Amino acid sequence: MNSNSHHEKDHDFAFESRKGKIRLWLRKLFHVKQFDRELVSELQFHIEHVIEANVRSGMSREEARRAALRDFGGVELAKEECRDERPTRWLRDFFQDVRFGLRMLRKSPGFAAVAVLTLALGIGANTAIFSVVEGVVLAPLPYRQPDRLTVVLQRNLTQNYDADLSYLDFLDWQKNNHSVQEMAAYQQLGFDLTSPGSPEHLDAAAVSANFFHVLGVNLALGRQFLPAEDVQGGARVAIITDALWAEKFSRSPNVLGQTLTLDGANYSVVGILQPGFSFAYKSDVYVPAGQGDISLLNDRSIHGTACIARLKDGVTLEEAHADLNRVQGNLNQLYPTIDRGLATTVLPLKQFLVGNIGSTLILLLGAVGIVLLIACANVANLLLARSAARSREFAIRLALGAGRGRVIRQMLTESLFLSLVGGAAGLLAANWGLSAILAVLGGELPRQSNITVSTSVLLFALGVSMLVGILFGIAPALKNSSVDPQRSLTERGGSGTRAQHRVQSTLVISQVALALVLLTSAGLLFRTIRRLWQVNPGLNPQNVVTFQIGLSPSIINSAPGIRNAFQQTIARIQQIPGVQSADLTSVIPLSQADNTGPFWIGPQPASLAQAPRAIYYEVGPAYLQTMGIPLLRGRFFTPQDAITSEPVVVVDDALARRYFPNGDAVGQRLTIAHWATARIVGVVGHVKQWGLGNSHRLSQSQIYISFYQLSDMWVPLFRGSMAVVVRTTSDAGALMPAIRATVYGSNDNEPVYNVQMMRDVVAETMAPQRLPMMLLGAFAALALLLASIGIYGVISYSVTQRTREIGIRIALGAESRKIFGMVIAQGLRLAIAGLAVGAVAAAILTRVLSNFSHLLYGVRTNDPLTFVTVSIVLTGVAVLACYIPARRATRVDPMTALCND
Amino acid sequence: MNPIKTDLLQGTLDLLILKTLATGPLHGYGVSLRIQQISKNALQVRQGSLYPALHRLERRGWIAAEWGDSENNRRAKFYRLTRTGRRQLEVEETNWERLAVAIRQVLNEA
Repeated sequence: MNSNSHHEKDHDFAFESRKGKIRLWLRKLFHVKQFDRELVSELQFHIEHVIEANVRSGMSREEARRAALRDFGGVELAKEECRDERPTRWLRDFFQDVRFGLRMLRKSPGFAAVAVLTLALGIGANTAIFSVVEGVVLAPLPYRQPDRLTVVLQRNLTQNYDADLSYLDFLDWQKNNHSVQEMAAYQQLGFDLTSPGSPEHLDAAAVSANFFHVLGVNLALGRQFLPAEDVQGGARVAIITDALWAEKFSRSPNVLGQTLTLDGANYSVVGILQPGFSFAYKSDVYVPAGQGDISLLNDRSIHGTACIARLKDGVTLEEAHADLNRVQGNLNQLYPTIDRGLATTVLPLKQFLVGNIGSTLILLLGAVGIVLLIACANVANLLLARSAARSREFAIRLALGAGRGRVIRQMLTESLFLSLVGGAAGLLAANWGLSAILAVLGGELPRQSNITVSTSVLLFALGVSMLVGILFGIAPALKNSSVDPQRSLTERGGSGTRAQHRVQSTLVISQVALALVLLTSAGLLFRTIRRLWQVNPGLNPQNVVTFQIGLSPSIINSAPGIRNAFQQTIARIQQIPGVQSADLTSVIPLSQADNTGPFWIGPQPASLAQAPRAIYYEVGPAYLQTMGIPLLRGRFFTPQDAITSEPVVVVDDALARRYFPNGDAVGQRLTIAHWATARIVGVVGHVKQWGLGNSHRLSQSQIYISFYQLSDMWVPLFRGSMAVVVRTTSDAGALMPAIRATVYGSNDNEPVYNVQMMRDVVAETMAPQRLPMMLLGAFAALALLLASIGIYGVISYSVTQRTREIGIRIALGAESRKIFGMVIAQGLRLAIAGLAVGAVAAAILTRVLSNFSHLLYGVRTNDPLTFVTVSIVLTGVAVLACYIPARRATRVDPMTALCND
Repeated sequence: MNPIKTDLLQGTLDLLILKTLATGPLHGYGVSLRIQQISKNALQVRQGSLYPALHRLERRGWIAAEWGDSENNRRAKFYRLTRTGRRQLEVEETNWERLAVAIRQVLNEA
């Protein structure tokens, strides 16, 4: 031995050995075939030498060869053992498992099909709902650093609600805060566009010059507003959406500088937004806020401005809130008659946009997860049944020396393969399901355009598939690998162990319990919606249609012109045959529109902010009979109530009962801010403005003012909000063409838009319940189907296992009715056990879901009627599921059963 | 003496292979031949055990392999001892000595 080697440095050994190992490992990993080839030639070399040696010692060539091969002890075995020494053994084993699993599944296509289908349903439903959750709740907003963006609302402490603020307050906030990097104003508007192209109504927004900069979005073309344009008298400029650019200018690159005529004024296009841009409310065109009507912007008590703010780096929500409260506090001191009693509320922008839907969606994700669990239980039961049939196969493998780990690995590979195929199928189903969901319910979801099958959704589907595969695969795997070879090889055809039957029963009972929970939730929502429909909204929505009309640009700034135009249009509409009555309103009841303002009885309160609030309806005289609102006392408006006559108001009985509990409201006086002190001439029925179930919102007081008594200053400002309501003798929708023709008849420049049937407006108020009800209903139906399949499977399997026993019973004279009943009873026992467990689970869950109860109306979360109904349905379905196996049991031929092994 | 066709314990075979390669690189056939020669035909390694052992030693990094030309100009895979292999050989030899001494003592006493 070379003595120099002793004095080599230590680290050289380690390095060389490690490098060599890695090289070897890599070589063997990637040059599989080459490795095999080398091995073969190495062995060949050896064998040939042995043959030569044998020949030299006197054997014939043939003898020599046979002797050499014999000595070698099996070339293939040697090759195999060499291969086993390779470090990449696990990879080879894995592919072998997959091939083996594929072969097994091909042999039982029925099982594979059912398993894959079940998994596809479960994983598909989960993926679809996750897509919605991801698009609406999880995905960040499409703005720069969106978690720094907030919405700042003004809080009225006396009345305890959040609302918009005045433009002047906004400017003061902007100037005096320390916590905000930038803030911008936002006001919702509408414009009647008369050119270019055909007249139409556009949704619009008036924003500060830095609005898009606050969001951090770039324009596709052109520039943002300049500060010089964001003031009174500034150049009339507009930024339009990509869609409007396509519609009106055919995406011509020369659009910048072209003109839009909005409400009779010419606006020059200076910028185009990116195609994907969206904000909270739909807007086709943006104009500078500072150019708005001076009487609105300069009045600190008129709250029409919303505010978004980008917080400074490192400033928390709480710090910003405190800072803005400080600023508002200073304003309260400076303007005590207007602002005292106001504070601020700061919300993250995402929370403002997503609102309550977020928690509902997460709840739905939980519900659909339950469906997946039920599906997994079915597949697990299937696997258990099948593994019992394969127990001989595994016994043999174990006896031949397969390690337990190897067998478990193989079974898990099979389950993973099943679940991944199921997941892929589920992805397809999810795609289809998502389109269906968006088609039916899309309008009720914010950020709808963001809901797609994105990368995170794909990853989710993959992860769920793998988790599911391990989940339902582990139990059969463990069971099969611990099979006692001796016992199962000598056992008669597998009579099934007690333990296995227990596991199957437990799975089915849990399925029934989970299905009960889902069915009950869906049932509660269903009852809620039925209850809501039974609530009297305070008006008669049948055969009533509402819409808005644009007026000719030549008159829209003239109060007499507007009054005249409306009066004539209404008069003409009333002449149409089939129309019972028609008139104007500034707020459509139950439409979620808000026209709240202060009023007072007696002396003006110290601060406007502390005055009581009411919803104002500026209406025409025929409004009451058009809407079918009952007149309780006094009178409604008449054509005689005009700008020149005494200001009068009509109040609803909520206001009357609250503020005039002892006497008659009629004849009393109350003062409406920005308008006048008026005499109450009538009391009408209360209308459920905020929705049929909603009884805790603030402004329950309602005040009606005649539109024709509004001052000249206010009429043009209200023009854009006025809607026409029409009651017809029969189907109102059918009369719309005639109405349109009448409206167009006077002037082609008057678009008719926002056409809605009143009963759809009422239905829309139930949207928060409708979304979860429909989805939960679908999940509950799916759960019911899967659970019934589960019951069927287990009972059917049990009948097969008990064939001998049944044969004996029949041979001993048992009637088929008894056999039938025996099987049904077995299924019933499972179902009832499931109901019991489900009832307990539901009771526990109602605590957890107590914040869900805001969705319910007229039913408690533990409503007994729903529970009983659902239980009966479940029991009935269970009995039905047992029917076929029960019949099969009665048909058992005792002779074949007894002879069968 | 009749050659003992033994299935040597894995560890012992490793020791023999390492020792054989200590004097210089050999191909697989050469190793089995050398062992047979030196032990005067007492030990005949089963080829089916030899090659897995060679690959195992290669994986552990104690021997390294290289393709080269054999005496009769045929391509063969030659193995040589690495530095770590040399150290391992020393360790194994020491252990073997101790084991042999211990067994001899037991056989003498009992």
